[in-house]
Amino acid sequence: MGPKNLLFAIVLGSALAAGVFVATKLNRPPELQTGFIVPLPNALPDFSLLDQSGGLVNADTFRGQWDLVFFGFTNCPDICPTTLQVLANARRELIDSGATTVPRIVLVSVDPERDTPEVLGQYVNYFGEGNLGVTGTLEGIKTLTGALGIYFEKSPTDDGYGVDHSAAVLVINPDGEFSALFSAPHLIASFVHDLPIIMGDD
Amino acid sequence: MLRCKLPAATVMAVCILIGACGSEPQPPLVATDIVIIEAMPGKQMTAGYLSLTNHSNAAISITNVSSPEFESVEIHESLLDDGVAKMRRITELSIPANTTITLERGGKHLMLMRPTGTSSQVTLSFQSGDSTLLSVRAPFTPRNN
Ligand SMILES: [Cu+2]
Repeated sequence: MGPKNLLFAIVLGSALAAGVFVATKLNRPPELQTGFIVPLPNALPDFSLLDQSGGLVNADTFRGQWDLVFFGFTNCPDICPTTLQVLANARRELIDSGATTVPRIVLVSVDPERDTPEVLGQYVNYFGEGNLGVTGTLEGIKTLTGALGIYFEKSPTDDGYGVDHSAAVLVINPDGEFSALFSAPHLIASFVHDLPIIMGDD
Repeated sequence: MLRCKLPAATVMAVCILIGACGSEPQPPLVATDIVIIEAMPGKQMTAGYLSLTNHSNAAISITNVSSPEFESVEIHESLLDDGVAKMRRITELSIPANTTITLERGGKHLMLMRPTGTSSQVTLSFQSGDSTLLSVRAPFTPRNN
């Protein structure tokens, strides 16, 4: 190797080192995978609904802890249970990895007609303890979904109906504000990676 | 020379045997990786997932699925349409020649409605018109969370 080549190697080597250094710097804070932080967190509207025990649920219910909120219905056999399972598994992985902040899982029914508190309770409790089911009047549900930009609409089937619904998972911060969201399709690894960053616990 | 002919005769015999095995008819439609999820407490419906392989040289069309363990079985498809989750019925599932179709979470699936009893196994029959193409039996799988 001649002196010219040696110099080239040194220049190239230091350039690579600098590049790695810059990349490392730029990676802080780490980038989100499928999560998205809402630039201006939104306070929840005034609404009055029920939990799975028939107790009152309102905006205050969402204060004091981080919540992962999914909108669905219990007669949904594929997307809804698959999503709740992803959330439950992500939550368990966070706990197992020693995370100090772990969100609660909330299912808001978009089919309050069939999802009574009791029906919803059986469903959310199936995915673990401490989950919150929210149902009540259709108007109450619409007040909440309308403010959060969540769409749902009945879709007739041969022997009844299903409900088309937004598939996003919303993150509500301990101040009771809608502060981040995850778009479908939902992956356990993305929640495990992104939630500590969103919750400021990385 | 004689010693060389003996192995040749043996090879011939094996070929005939293999030929006999190969002539056994292979079913045109085969189901694998069958996962029928246990219905959740209080629910009258659940989902099933599996792969269906068409080993024949012609397309196969499934127009009906039935099970003695359920009043009704339908093929559905979950889809994401601009962030909105929808589920629609598929009345005819066509599997092209020599192709595998996978029914999986968040996509095409079997929707099993109104269990007729408390069996731990489920039998599924796939029909095309009046002819049954395939019958399979599988245990219920607990939803693992
Ligand atoms: Cu379905």
